[in-house]
Amino acid sequence: MNAIGFAWRSLVRQPARAALGILGVAAVGALLFDMLLLSRGLIVSMQDLLDRGGWDVRVSAGELPGSGLRISDAVDTAEAISRLPSVQAALVMRAATAQIDRASGQPLRASFQGATMRSADPAGSRLRAPWTILRGRDAEGADEVVVDEKIASESRLEPGSEITLRASCVGDLEALPATRLKVVGIAEFPFQTTNETTTGGTLDALKAACGGNVGTEADLILVTSTGDADETAAAIRTLLPEIRAATNTEVVGRLQQTGFTYFRQISSVLTTVTVSFAVLLITVLLTVSVNQRLGEIAALRALGFSRVRVVKDVLSESALIVGIGGLLSLPLGLLLASGLDRILKGMPGIPVALHFFVFEAQALAIHVALLMATAIIAALYPMRIVSTLPIAATLRDEVIG
Amino acid sequence: MRPGLLVRFLAVLGLGLVPTLATAQEARPADVLVSRQLAESENLTVGSVVRLATDAAGTRAREFRIAGIYEPTPDPARLGQVPRSVRLHLPDLLEMTRPVDVPAGAEYVSSVNVALVDPKDAGQFAKDVNARLPGVLALPAGEAAGSAGPFRVLERFHLAIAVVTIIAATVFLLALSIMLVDERRETVGVLRLIGLPVRRILVQILLEGLLVAGVGAIFGLILALLSEQLINQFFQWRYDTALVFVRITRDVALTCVAIAVPLGASATVVASWALLRRGGLRLARR
Amino acid sequence: MKSVHSPQSSVSGSPTTSQLIVDAKNVSRVFSMPAGPVTAVRDVTLQINSGDHIAVRGPSGCGKSTLLHMLGCVEPQTSGTLLFDGQDISRMSDARRSLLRLKQIGFVFQRFFLLPMLTARENVELPLSEAGVPKQTRQKRAAELLEYVGLAARADHRPSQLSGGEMQRVAIARALANGPRLLLADEPTGELDESTGAQIASLLDRVNQAGTALVIVTHDPALADRAERVLMMRDGQIESERVR
Repeated sequence: MNAIGFAWRSLVRQPARAALGILGVAAVGALLFDMLLLSRGLIVSMQDLLDRGGWDVRVSAGELPGSGLRISDAVDTAEAISRLPSVQAALVMRAATAQIDRASGQPLRASFQGATMRSADPAGSRLRAPWTILRGRDAEGADEVVVDEKIASESRLEPGSEITLRASCVGDLEALPATRLKVVGIAEFPFQTTNETTTGGTLDALKAACGGNVGTEADLILVTSTGDADETAAAIRTLLPEIRAATNTEVVGRLQQTGFTYFRQISSVLTTVTVSFAVLLITVLLTVSVNQRLGEIAALRALGFSRVRVVKDVLSESALIVGIGGLLSLPLGLLLASGLDRILKGMPGIPVALHFFVFEAQALAIHVALLMATAIIAALYPMRIVSTLPIAATLRDEVIG
Repeated sequence: MRPGLLVRFLAVLGLGLVPTLATAQEARPADVLVSRQLAESENLTVGSVVRLATDAAGTRAREFRIAGIYEPTPDPARLGQVPRSVRLHLPDLLEMTRPVDVPAGAEYVSSVNVALVDPKDAGQFAKDVNARLPGVLALPAGEAAGSAGPFRVLERFHLAIAVVTIIAATVFLLALSIMLVDERRETVGVLRLIGLPVRRILVQILLEGLLVAGVGAIFGLILALLSEQLINQFFQWRYDTALVFVRITRDVALTCVAIAVPLGASATVVASWALLRRGGLRLARR
Repeated sequence: MKSVHSPQSSVSGSPTTSQLIVDAKNVSRVFSMPAGPVTAVRDVTLQINSGDHIAVRGPSGCGKSTLLHMLGCVEPQTSGTLLFDGQDISRMSDARRSLLRLKQIGFVFQRFFLLPMLTARENVELPLSEAGVPKQTRQKRAAELLEYVGLAARADHRPSQLSGGEMQRVAIARALANGPRLLLADEPTGELDESTGAQIASLLDRVNQAGTALVIVTHDPALADRAERVLMMRDGQIESERVR
């Protein structure tokens, strides 16, 4: 009987104890797996969110897009950027706060995202909007707008409906006349947060909604490269040193240093704590189990089982408990991750499409490696017990006991 | 947006801060305070004169004298960010940041913090302000974050983690208890054979379980207190902050003990109960 | 009970001519205790040849079990020389000593020490498996041994389903699995009633008659009387030797 077979028989000898040990490992393993998913989850999710839009360089006045600083003479700046050979297209974005009148009840607060829908070149080709149309079509004219699902369902809007909207591009205190706009589509806004409602349209529509009081500033210029995004970002920085150009990867990198850093740290701390916890508990389980079988082990040694063999038996037992528990921890971990993700997504300012826990093969590989290390480390002390077991003294003690 | 926040952004952008010596002929520059981190990174001292502007080009730059260096209040929302910030008198800030063509901007602020004589009046005060000043939103400070404030969310997150940890610990505890109770199988069998009732033995086991769980809980608390020190020291060093990351309050300690002791004692009793259902002879037999 | 003597499946691997298996000269074992050193075995000189049947008797604490453990290479001697097949045990590595115990020495314990999660058959197969014997061969050998000890019908029963005597018979079968030249039994009838003990004693006689050297430590005078040589120990020394 090989070591694994022997270890299996030792485990099933006490099924309740074995099952509990395995379940304990599964629970701890699930937590460990989740912390590994969390460590890079935000980064992977944010990268995916940024890449999905099709824009690979973001130009802003502040260190990060959304910092509150604006790019002056944004349209001219976008035109200058789009003339660079490595740039395929440049889109100007500006946001404003808005209120949508409702037939009954309080007006609905929303944000209004205005974007240039046509490129600056003479061809004036249509640019990809920074939102995704779900129903209807995209806004083109100054009197057209798209709304998100939440606005659509609360106000019972469909493509073809009309809304009355007041927007403020300067501050909240402005009292501006309402603008009548036609809803031409229902859209999904990738960076929209849970509590937000958003509308979108052309820059002209935004200007009209703000009563012409927009100025030449913009929050963001989105750029698509013809080739390498890093080259494009570098070219923009050379052309316009006073503004910031960052590839999607660089944006994620900066977020990693700031907003995301807490989750990286907490995942590191909890990974360490979880692994230590698992090692400690499995060590205790195995040690107690071995101590209860010292007579048997001494007898096996007397019968000719080598030191290496009895050590292998203990290691195999650890490997079985951790291995089976580890396998169970995967579906358990994924279930737990979805629950934890739901909790964390309740945080204000988090885009709905962003996830904290994202499955990556790398996380799975690290999880397996950590579990293997846990099995080995946890077995070290009980292995030492059996390898240094004084055979004769143990046999004597068993007789006396 | 708090006063000074805009200027912090400007500082983060790494505007050139040029310490210059004020000449006797110029009017004395207004005072500002700089954060310790900014002073260290730019080698600034009390008395240095710096120029602050609202953009990288140095538009409308003004000279200010550093009157002091302060330690910024740790902001958990800005963990990882080095607080390179400057504090100005409000009129100076307003003068620098107002749009040139909007004179009224000199009186524009984004928020006003109010300290009441009696903090318990906060809710009523906020209601009164909201009723009397449309366009202004007043909130008691404690509710500012709302139920979905980031730290409430993090609290729920940590609670979920704690629940999973407790479940895992309970499972392991039960496994260990079964093993340890099994070690005393013969002793228990003999006690049954000589006539001790099950209840008597269970009470004995419960008392032992309570003792072990109590000692374990105290040991755990001591370990937690030590870890609290280590974790805080490490992260305060790592992020150069005075933030407290782990705080074991009396309530937290009592909650932990209230969970650990009954769990530990119950695990022993549950493990023993399964054993005691067997007959004494069967228990005592090897 | 059927005795198995065919060359392919002999119980013992011992040659028919008498050979010196164990040569112990002035071996001693001293234990360091907090209260001071305790000499469990003192200057014992002993030779065991193939086919010998030796009983070791003496009062409790006289060093019988310690001597047995030293002969079985599970207890190192403090002084003296102990040769097994001419090789010095004290110079062997732990791995070599384990191999020696696996293939040349069999142990039978007072407490049986059968593995409770394995059947009788699996318990007997264990040393064969450890010795690298192929599956079919070891299954056949285990079946033969269980038949030899009269438990062919209980092969698939676990120790908890066997009586004390049956467990000891399985233990003897296990000890004989790899055809040892020397079988060491420490109080093999210590936990058995008189009638069952007599059965075990008869079985051990048969093992010895098949050529395996047998050393039994026992308090049981009836068991000791079956031996050709009876060693009386006192205070760690062989006080006397009676040859039948």
